[in-house]
Amino acid sequence: MVISLNERMDHFMNRINSGEKIEADDWMPDDYREALIRLISMHGISEIMGALPEKEWVPKAPSIYRKLAIMAKVQDEMGHGQLLLRVAEDLMEPLGRNRDDIMKDLFSGKLKFHNVFHMKAPTWGDAGVIAWLVDGAAIISQTMMLGTSYGPYGRALKRICAEEVFHAQHGESIIMALAEGTKEQRTLLQDSINRWWSSLLMFFGPRTNAETGHSNQDQNMRYKLRTKTNEQLRQEFLTKYVPRVWALGLTIPDSTLKFDEETSEWQYQQPDWEEFKSIVTGHGPKSKERLALRMRSYEMNSWVREALGTSEVSNVAR
Amino acid sequence: MSHKDSLFYEVYEVFSKKTDTSSLQHQFSLLAPNQELAFVMAKENFFRREQVADIWVVKRDHIKRMSQEEKEAMKHLEKNYRETKGYGYLKKKWRQYEQEQLTEKDIMGGGEG
Amino acid sequence: MDESIEYRECLIELIYQLADDDFLLAYRGSEWLGLAPHIEEDVAFASISQDLMGHAALYYGLLEELGEGKIDHLTHNRSPEYFRNAILVELPNGTGTYLENPSYDWAFTVVRNYFYTLAKKVRLDSIKKSSYEPLQHIVQKISIEMSYHMMHWEVWFKQLISSTAEAKSRMEEAMSIVFEELGGVFSYGRIGDRMARLSLIESEEVLKERWMVYLNKEKIQYSMKMKQGDGRNGIHTPHLAEALATLSEVYQSVPTAEW
Repeated sequence: MVISLNERMDHFMNRINSGEKIEADDWMPDDYREALIRLISMHGISEIMGALPEKEWVPKAPSIYRKLAIMAKVQDEMGHGQLLLRVAEDLMEPLGRNRDDIMKDLFSGKLKFHNVFHMKAPTWGDAGVIAWLVDGAAIISQTMMLGTSYGPYGRALKRICAEEVFHAQHGESIIMALAEGTKEQRTLLQDSINRWWSSLLMFFGPRTNAETGHSNQDQNMRYKLRTKTNEQLRQEFLTKYVPRVWALGLTIPDSTLKFDEETSEWQYQQPDWEEFKSIVTGHGPKSKERLALRMRSYEMNSWVREALGTSEVSNVAR
Repeated sequence: MSHKDSLFYEVYEVFSKKTDTSSLQHQFSLLAPNQELAFVMAKENFFRREQVADIWVVKRDHIKRMSQEEKEAMKHLEKNYRETKGYGYLKKKWRQYEQEQLTEKDIMGGGEG
Repeated sequence: MDESIEYRECLIELIYQLADDDFLLAYRGSEWLGLAPHIEEDVAFASISQDLMGHAALYYGLLEELGEGKIDHLTHNRSPEYFRNAILVELPNGTGTYLENPSYDWAFTVVRNYFYTLAKKVRLDSIKKSSYEPLQHIVQKISIEMSYHMMHWEVWFKQLISSTAEAKSRMEEAMSIVFEELGGVFSYGRIGDRMARLSLIESEEVLKERWMVYLNKEKIQYSMKMKQGDGRNGIHTPHLAEALATLSEVYQSVPTAEW
């Protein structure tokens, strides 16, 4: 029986709209597959790239306990990257592509990663702010995505969100020690907040197409890949964290920041969206360096992949 | 992409059970060049925070899965003759004969019968 | 010398050796985070590094109980000559630093970790038999994690050494470098012969023998040496001072602080 494309599409949209989950081997329109690959490989590679600024602080962490906790957190990040890349890879498989192609796209600049991971993390205060606020932003975004129409993505996110609880507390613990510590420690923390504030706002992406001329959020919402807008997520972030930052006696580098009771929205100074575009296209302060580090490690280890990827070893070991 | 590199990225499905008496469950998948390495990496990738009593790794190519059509066809099958659903009327009948209907429990030997 | 003072001196010396070995190797492992040959392996290797750091923490905790000072002081406030790790574990993973142009060798890492893990198992099994009770107790806990470490490194070792010509050659090169310092792992330093006499751990010769028996399954030619410095006696390479500077950078920036 020949099924027309329209019929397939109708059946597909019915499934999505009735809350059914789409699985890896199910029929899906090309643009759904592409949207997922774009979204999930970006998410996955962001976790992998995010490990790099954080691992800077593993050896330097100021106690054996903190060293252990950050190691566990960085490991989780790599683990999240692994789960997400696997989901993306399964979607790419019918297109004849695999992880090697993902890495090549990363190195060529075709595959982008979140703005926050292009930024500097020069002090221990940054290690704390990343763990508390960057992860905090990611948790808000990921929790929203839990209801996604794509089954494998939802399952990966469920696991990821469960691990984020530990990350949030780890971050809060570092921040609290700094906020309640010596004058030097409080200054360290305040400097980090000042340094990271606009990156945190940018993390959620532009409100509309107007700011950067491009946004996938409308299509992603139609396909139930996501359920809230960038702005809704940013507002959630502000509601959750601004009062807490203020409660610790710290300031936020935006004198216009305030909650408007009438509109029930936070008013804030828009970050520079041109700068955002520049950062995610590889022109951030640490973009080149971190990409180079990734590329270097990929190349220096290629002999390992060749050694174990030969049919001799694969057959022997099986 | 070289052929050699591609053999490094085989998909392995990972199964586990929480305790000795639980059922084996599918968890996630990982890439590995062979079964031994897949096995070595499975525990730390997926079970580092939980107790796990057993771990299996299977190459995805060795698994036959249902197609979407087969899955959807499954949903339309109703086989009342396999279930207890169709037998509700029996209770009334037995009452008519002034006997308590044997409960499932009695049949299985666990009731006071 | 008063027996109990001698016992205490040897015990503390041994624990520093065990602690510092795991602490430094955990640090070297953590430098590989995000840079391992394969993402899934990055995750697995990270568990091993955490385990090692955790083992070190257990030993430092015992040293704290024995009056040597607070754990974070022991880890972040001792200068190199007070460290008792073997030279093998302070050697860098390759050239460059973990942030700038690292040129790390996976073959060296596999061989170092595999040979060290075997040596560690042999030492721990010896302590399990008879030693200072609180130390035996810690060693029993640590031994639980050892079977995974052994399996993990053994699989990597065997697979690489029996694959391509390039892999074989890198592994052989790595083995010759590791053998040059492996003797230092078994050495006990200045007061070593007393440790065996006091039943804290068996003699260097006995443990080396056991290690060789285990590795001979691989049919490898070897001869254990102690080429650079003398880690157990506090004579280290410049690599240790560099490592410690990184490890204690933040701690020492505000020495009185709680972090």
